[in-house]
Amino acid sequence: MRPVIRLRVLAATAACALLSCAPARQADVQTAASGKRWFGDVRPPVENVFTYANGAEPERIDPGLMSGQPDGRIARMLLEGLTTPDPKTLESLPGQAYRWEITPDGRTYTFHLRPGLTWSDGRPVTSQDFLWSWMRVLKPETAARYATFLYPVDNAEAFNKGEIKDSTRVGLAAPDDSTFVVRLGQPTSYFLMLTQFYTCLPVPRHVIEKHGARWTRIENFVGNGAFRLAYWRQNDRFELTKSPTYWDAAHVRLDRVIAYSVDDLNTCTNLYKAGVTDWNPSGYLPAQYIPYMKDFADYRSGRYQATYFYSINVTRKPLDNVWVRRALNLAVDRETIARDLLKGSRDPWGNISPSGYPGYQHPPGLTYDPEKARECLAKAGYPGGKGFPKIEILFNTSEDHRRIAEAIQAMWRRDLGIDIELSNQEWGSYLQATTSLQYDVSRRSWIGDYLDPNTFLEMWRTGDGNNRTGWGDPRYDALLRRAAAELDPAKRFALLAEAEALVLDQGAVIPIYHYSTVELLKPYVKGLYQTALDVHPMKDVWIDRDWQKDAAPVAAGAAAGRGGSGTR
Amino acid sequence: MTTFLIRRLLLIIPTLWVVGTLTFFMMRFAPGGPFLAERDIPAAAKEQLERQYGLDRPLHEQYLKFLANTVRLDFGPSYKYPARQVTEIIFEALPVSLELGGWALLLAVLIGVPIGVIAAVRQNTGTDFAAMTAALAGVPVPNFVLGPLLVLGLSLSLFIFPPALWSGPQSRVLPVLTLSTAYIAYIARLTRGGMLEVLRQDYIRTARAKGLSETTVVSKHALKLGILPVVSYLGPAAARVIMGSVVVESIFAVPGLGQHLVRGAFNRDYTLVLGVVLFYSLFLMLLNLLVDIAYTRLDPRVELA
Repeated sequence: MRPVIRLRVLAATAACALLSCAPARQADVQTAASGKRWFGDVRPPVENVFTYANGAEPERIDPGLMSGQPDGRIARMLLEGLTTPDPKTLESLPGQAYRWEITPDGRTYTFHLRPGLTWSDGRPVTSQDFLWSWMRVLKPETAARYATFLYPVDNAEAFNKGEIKDSTRVGLAAPDDSTFVVRLGQPTSYFLMLTQFYTCLPVPRHVIEKHGARWTRIENFVGNGAFRLAYWRQNDRFELTKSPTYWDAAHVRLDRVIAYSVDDLNTCTNLYKAGVTDWNPSGYLPAQYIPYMKDFADYRSGRYQATYFYSINVTRKPLDNVWVRRALNLAVDRETIARDLLKGSRDPWGNISPSGYPGYQHPPGLTYDPEKARECLAKAGYPGGKGFPKIEILFNTSEDHRRIAEAIQAMWRRDLGIDIELSNQEWGSYLQATTSLQYDVSRRSWIGDYLDPNTFLEMWRTGDGNNRTGWGDPRYDALLRRAAAELDPAKRFALLAEAEALVLDQGAVIPIYHYSTVELLKPYVKGLYQTALDVHPMKDVWIDRDWQKDAAPVAAGAAAGRGGSGTR
Repeated sequence: MTTFLIRRLLLIIPTLWVVGTLTFFMMRFAPGGPFLAERDIPAAAKEQLERQYGLDRPLHEQYLKFLANTVRLDFGPSYKYPARQVTEIIFEALPVSLELGGWALLLAVLIGVPIGVIAAVRQNTGTDFAAMTAALAGVPVPNFVLGPLLVLGLSLSLFIFPPALWSGPQSRVLPVLTLSTAYIAYIARLTRGGMLEVLRQDYIRTARAKGLSETTVVSKHALKLGILPVVSYLGPAAARVIMGSVVVESIFAVPGLGQHLVRGAFNRDYTLVLGVVLFYSLFLMLLNLLVDIAYTRLDPRVELA
């Protein structure tokens, strides 16, 4: 349930998009055997160093308190949880815990830690550390933004909200130094996946008790992950070195990782082309380059657990009328937006939850039907749009959001005969307006945190802090409650699909498109895969200096005579 | 001179107070807040955070606390980067901005002044027109056009300089060039204007009548007064250039001060914005004071009182 990190493109840099990085042909490399063309420099680094653009400067690297992709990428290298994601499928693999048992009722998880685990300062990692770290996230005074992540744990929600004070009633226990027992309030089929997430990473109690909020500073930081913090300058870069005390150090093939804090999309792409970075993660390629970049072998795209949608404020007239909402929904031509406006870089999507859950049958998604839309509007009492009050589409300032809003404005005018105004606000004001329901229709997006439709559905419960539409339905809340208690996966999915169908029918949400990950990756980087959550465990990444042994490069052009640009 | 200095230094205090007060209230009255996020923060957590930062107190109390803290030069931790104090953030970014701005300004003076002098001496000749046309073209070219063009040409096509980042001497070239171009052009025009006025004055005629060479007349007698407009421009220019250019910092990923101000405002990072704004104001006022002092050195007719 993580929000899409907004790409703060300065107005200025929008203008340089066209200028700065039109790929210069002579610098691109083509390999003879495969005929593949690569974007820019393809010479691997001399050492086992992996460099990438990490996006905006992380707000913090304290996993229990953080939120956001750049922060998470750093934390996941420095710290390791009970389980770690499989680099391809994201399935939970043994991490600090080498095995676990789940009781048949699906409510008790017993994790067994590996023997001999240590923090980077040599102190042993014990189950007490996990207990303390998770309780820290749940303590109200910690004010952890992602505390809701641990709510499946028995009594965790009540404790976090201050309703119960006794911490021993929370379903977490460490009966001995190597055993960690988690008791859930309800069987939560995706719980194992939550244990990979950064909120659940352990933190060194002894260091935090000594240094407080400043424990994450480079001189104090202690971790248990595959890498250690070696250098950190704000708005510049992180340097991490391989940790010799990590339990699986023998299989970590990178000696160093350099993560640049760069968030201008053009700059990120330029650095990639110049060969300074080896990986341009998803979200850092300017959208208008996508059609052009598709031909390069570096380009990699796949379905991403994220959707772009409009939400409707049902507390305002005339949007409190379900027929009005249905009319608006049916008059959105998603195909045209995805194909023409976004040049096919996104898939049109008429559902609430994205694709990618094996076994989950989505309800029939919304499709474009102007005829039916007009009927709905007439049923609402506005035949042909007559007498329809002026409403406004709100979006946070961005060229792409504006173009989509303009397209939808035109569709609604054409198909429904209603007049729409556009209103853009800078981020803070936009958030204020959406959270306090001071809008009619608003652009939004959502990223899944784990592979389950629940991460897209629970926000539409009555009064949920992320709902922000004013919509609520006791039937919906009941369906979600029943799904949470259901042990049979097929029945559970059926309940969730029913719930999803209900939101779609009630029309408080207008789904528009399905996000894709769009990355650029140098050919010599191995072990880094496209994943549905855009999560990439770095311990599996390695540099293949022999990547060209099968295909000698030809037409290297200027790349051969390249000067020493870059920083390696 | 001494009374002048003391008076000017004392004037800085009320000015900072006004600037700080305005910034404080403008930030507080902007919609949204530091703990508003696209993903909802549990109400209890939000209350807790507001308590930690004293945002649950009445506004006038917060304001008085801010004044008291400012006197002690303590702005507290940034809202966005809670592990860092605002002063730490400023002093980590300042050397970078000083370096970038310093080089850019130096380059602007070293190139702009000679161009202006030559154009003035050869007034209304081809040289003059060429120099001034170039300068006229340089003033309005925005950084966000020039920067990417330089990157495309010198970095991505010719591979002479890295396209961004702040590491190693090579990485300085493109941002400094980008930042200085507009200043070069402006300084050239200012110098030309100043020189033209001075060259018409009686004491220059006297100098020429004494039989001094044209080079001596220009460089020793005319230039001293002719660059006065440049000197007065240098104060605000230095402040602007050193406090960072958001655009240049963003294009070249330079870890300077400019980005903190803009991002801080977007993030409603109250403490960071206040710290940077006050620091910037102080810097600007001190530089203007320096300019006034430089005036007395260059033009004996100017008296500070």
